[in-house]
Amino acid sequence: MSGAEASFPPLDVTTGARSLRSRWQGARGFTETEVRVQTHETLALATSMIVQTVFIVFVWLLDRSILPFAMVGAVIFSVFQIGERVTNEAAYIRIDHRLTELYHASPLTPEAYFLGIAAGIMIAYLPPVVVLVVLAEIVHPMGLLAAGVFALSLVAIWLFAASLGYTFSTLFHDSRAIWPYSSLFYNAFGVLPPVFYPFVVWKAIIPAAVVPAGLLVPPSAAAALITWAEGLTPLSTGEVLTAAGSLTFFALATFAFAVHWARRMAREP
Amino acid sequence: MPEDAISAAGVRKTYRARGQPPVEALSGVSLRVGRGERVSLLGRNGAGKTTFLRIASTLLMPSSGRVEVFGRDVVRDPEGVRPLIAVVPQEGKPFFHLTPREQIYTYLRSRGFQRETAKSRTEEALGLMALEEVADRLNATLSGGQKQRAMVATVIATQAPLLFLDEPTIGLDPFARRGVWESLRRLTRMGSTILLTTHYLDEADVLSDRLYVIDRGQVVGQGTSEDLKRSTGGTLRVSFRGPFPDAKALRAEVQGTGRIMEDDQSLHIITSPERMEELLAIALRRKLAATVGPVTLEEAFLRLVGRSIEGEEHVGS
Ligand SMILES: Nc1ncnc2c1ncn2[C@@H]1O[C@H](COP(=O)(O)OP(=O)(O)OP(=O)(O)O)[C@@H](O)[C@H]1O
Ligand SMILES: [Mg+2]
Repeated sequence: MSGAEASFPPLDVTTGARSLRSRWQGARGFTETEVRVQTHETLALATSMIVQTVFIVFVWLLDRSILPFAMVGAVIFSVFQIGERVTNEAAYIRIDHRLTELYHASPLTPEAYFLGIAAGIMIAYLPPVVVLVVLAEIVHPMGLLAAGVFALSLVAIWLFAASLGYTFSTLFHDSRAIWPYSSLFYNAFGVLPPVFYPFVVWKAIIPAAVVPAGLLVPPSAAAALITWAEGLTPLSTGEVLTAAGSLTFFALATFAFAVHWARRMAREP
Repeated sequence: MPEDAISAAGVRKTYRARGQPPVEALSGVSLRVGRGERVSLLGRNGAGKTTFLRIASTLLMPSSGRVEVFGRDVVRDPEGVRPLIAVVPQEGKPFFHLTPREQIYTYLRSRGFQRETAKSRTEEALGLMALEEVADRLNATLSGGQKQRAMVATVIATQAPLLFLDEPTIGLDPFARRGVWESLRRLTRMGSTILLTTHYLDEADVLSDRLYVIDRGQVVGQGTSEDLKRSTGGTLRVSFRGPFPDAKALRAEVQGTGRIMEDDQSLHIITSPERMEELLAIALRRKLAATVGPVTLEEAFLRLVGRSIEGEEHVGS
């Protein structure tokens, strides 16, 4: 029994404004929690690959020339879909388990809690993503520039999807009600824009006024940038800047908002 | 340093949801919990206990009023309060895909405990809640009471300066309940403060230094368990077991011997030892089964929340 040496902050400690470091401190511990929780769901890991596999198989059968696009799309889609898992998981443990109360009434800040879920689910779902990246590399070897653009784009997509997902999860009182919305959102934005297929095809089939949307929506902006860096998609400098700017903006803006929102929603109004 | 772990003044809470009439859950609750005390909130379903606990633990915004935890305002300084508290939420469930051991350990880690401390606290809490045998099984496979014990173990392992426990012993067997009581006593001996809710009045009796009875969002009684029992106006309870052939006449006959309470089958009189003989004589004459016992917290509770149907006056109002 080691009761006496309690290591909670002593009462006379003046917390005041917490340092930036201490705000994020518990995130690692909570990430570990989420990784353990998620990896118990091996079947969910497998089902997370269904859409991508289907697309790859069809492309393989129908038109191998766009296989490199489909491979990049599959990786982006996998990371983008983490947002859906974050939405569902955050809502589930808050509403059905009331565990969020355990974590909010604690030294762990709400933003560290949010980051913990986002990072935990990302890490748990990383293995299939790595497999896809390896396959993408085999189908179309990347240079250094492409690899860098690829990595940065994936981080941005993860931040964007997870931030949006966490924010979205707080708006519901019933975790079942959220499933159709999150599924619809992440599938629609991950599949309809030119994520799995070339940007040039999008340009050809979509009214000119709507074309820039393909460079603004984060998943297809990432796809355009990566395939451009791979030398597969011709983009003007303006288009590259548009896609990169949009991706950066959406990632940072949604992340900043999610942090703000997590803090605000830590206490029910 | 403030003397009080919690001091609440005039706390009100009205829940407002679109398209629904507002619900006033708390209408001016004032209470205090001293450092190192174990205090229970009692009250019927919907009285406002959980609402108060959630406000004091920074999880819910009050409509008005003030709550301080160790001298810190929960509304203005939630970040100063949160490191000092831990909460067992009502109807909380552990992560189904963790084992109790993982659940406690990872929770402590996310609260910032070092690996070694987290490990030893985890083992200790598993022992205190008698979870060793199921410590490595997934929470999903545990029985209802075992899941609840895993929740309580997770929170007591923190040894936080102030613990809020909302019905911590719900669904626990008598042994497990005693395990919780012992753990809570141990925590307060080490300097923690505890505010809990329970519907088990025997538990509230043996566990609490002081109690608050809440009814319809207001404090209607407070004090030690003995204070509350004394407030019933007697020290003994005489119960006549029905059904009674002539209930009306019986009621008339016992009138004046003490405070009368009735439930579906029995008539209870809260009285003093001096009136015993009189009451037992009535029982003998009418050939009624009668039992005599000390007044319990239950009588005090029933009186305070206005369930008694005493002759002249409606008590608790
Ligand atoms: N989110 C909410 N929205 C609207 N009304 C609510 C909400 N939560 C609680 N209430 C209402 O507020 C009142 C107090 O509820 P509370 O949960 O605090 O009661 P309680 O004393 O904890 O009851 P119990 O013993 O059943 O747990 C009840 O009338 C309840 O219906
Ligand atoms: Mg309650």
